[in-house]
Amino acid sequence: MQVKDTNRNRRDFGVLACICLVLQVAVAPNIALGNGRANLGLVFAGIASLLVGGRLGVLCGFLAGFVFDLSTTGPIGLMSFLLTIASFVLGIEARNRMADDFAGSMRLFSWMTLGVSLFYHVAMLLVGDATSLIDVVFMRTVPTAILTIIAFTPFAYVISHETGSALSLGGKPSKSARSHGSRYDIGNL
Amino acid sequence: MPRKSGATPPSTRFRRTDADGGLRTCIVLVVLSLVMFTASVREGDAGGVFTTMRGAWMTITTPIRWAGGAVTAPFQGLGNIFVNLTTDQERLSDLKAENERLVARNAELEESEQTARRLESLLGLQSLYNLQSTGARIISGSTDSWSSTVTIDKGSAAGVAVGMPVTDSNGAIGQVVKCGSASATVRLITDENSSVSAMIQSSRAQGVLRGSVDGSLRLTLVRTDQMVEVGDTVVTSGLGGVFPKGLPLGTVLSVERTSGSLYYEIEVEPLSSTESFEEVLVITSLTEDQKATAEDVAEADKQDTTAMTATSDGGAQGEGESQGDGEDASAEDDEQMDVEG
Repeated sequence: MQVKDTNRNRRDFGVLACICLVLQVAVAPNIALGNGRANLGLVFAGIASLLVGGRLGVLCGFLAGFVFDLSTTGPIGLMSFLLTIASFVLGIEARNRMADDFAGSMRLFSWMTLGVSLFYHVAMLLVGDATSLIDVVFMRTVPTAILTIIAFTPFAYVISHETGSALSLGGKPSKSARSHGSRYDIGNL
Repeated sequence: MPRKSGATPPSTRFRRTDADGGLRTCIVLVVLSLVMFTASVREGDAGGVFTTMRGAWMTITTPIRWAGGAVTAPFQGLGNIFVNLTTDQERLSDLKAENERLVARNAELEESEQTARRLESLLGLQSLYNLQSTGARIISGSTDSWSSTVTIDKGSAAGVAVGMPVTDSNGAIGQVVKCGSASATVRLITDENSSVSAMIQSSRAQGVLRGSVDGSLRLTLVRTDQMVEVGDTVVTSGLGGVFPKGLPLGTVLSVERTSGSLYYEIEVEPLSSTESFEEVLVITSLTEDQKATAEDVAEADKQDTTAMTATSDGGAQGEGESQGDGEDASAEDDEQMDVEG
């Protein structure tokens, strides 16, 4: 059953973006594993790509990366670049995958996280912000990926267990969604 | 309004604008990202658009960061577990050595901080009482067991002379009794042979503050018709002409009134601990307003004509502040005995 509820989905994405933004700015810098810290921009981009994909997923990825770049001391545009590509790749066939396949979406997101983190930190090595490849891989990439996957898990769990909507992060379910119980309305943006 | 989709794609609106899966958007944004990346790297630390943007972003998000820091402060140590587990012994040894060095350095800096605070207090006292003084440092304590003295690192070469009063940041501590060219000996007010003209700050009751063998202070010659209460501040009266008027000496610890006695027995707690003062001021001269006025002397006479006669006629070293040789203190005792007798 298909439901078109564009406003609600936009609102839900707004709530999700705000949550990720606050967590990225307030919490992520204070919780470290080695030298790694969770990348909530990646979490947001991953959710957007796995839920919607396509143009919106790419746009979310770019914006999440841009915000991440602004929050760090690294060059601006690097994470935007990586998340744009990652969101595109993840969103090609992954529409609403989170609602369909929790384990599969976790697997996809984990690979995406590992790849993006590795590329990001290697790029930082190349531009001179890091000095050791071993340090980059084991003290930065892996801890970052682990923390990011941990941060992604509750979002994925909540979204995958939503029955009335594929994404409900604060907004009241629409009457139509409650009536028909569709999990596919997120694609109706 | 709900509608059945059947085999149709989820959203016609979405599909209309997203037929290529976002490829064109992706290309545009990738190019934009690369442009930003290149410009950002070229900009470096020189400052520019991105630096300004980042600064504005940091400013906007500062309250959130602050709140986040406060909330997550108790959990921040958890992240160190991973680092600690993977740290090798060499690193741990280095950190231990570094820690020891920093602990030593920290102790050194704390000592410096305390010194700075004491000096600041001394300057405050000097400024408050407009003292003509020279700074000195205590370099040793008493060399014998029967006198309470300290040695300071300034002597006659620095203008110090016998009889000059000495204060620390809390108030008067003693008087110079011996003076060499580069050092001087200060008899503390707690010394058994020390006596200083003093008064109760609140009631202006006049007396003489004497030291004792056990290091305590006693305020004598305060008539029982005067008001004295526990906790009152005892200050120099200036009647002896040695100490400036109004310097704190101590606080009243206990007041006893013996039946038939003309005077209180008052125990005074010194404001300064003799072990603690390290930097001191030697008061080299008094200004006119620091000396007791004729009215002060008349008031003292009025309170106890018999006991304070020697004070009022200008025998400064002879009655109130006779730390030099003890003879004057004995004379004071004799006078007191005469009164009591």
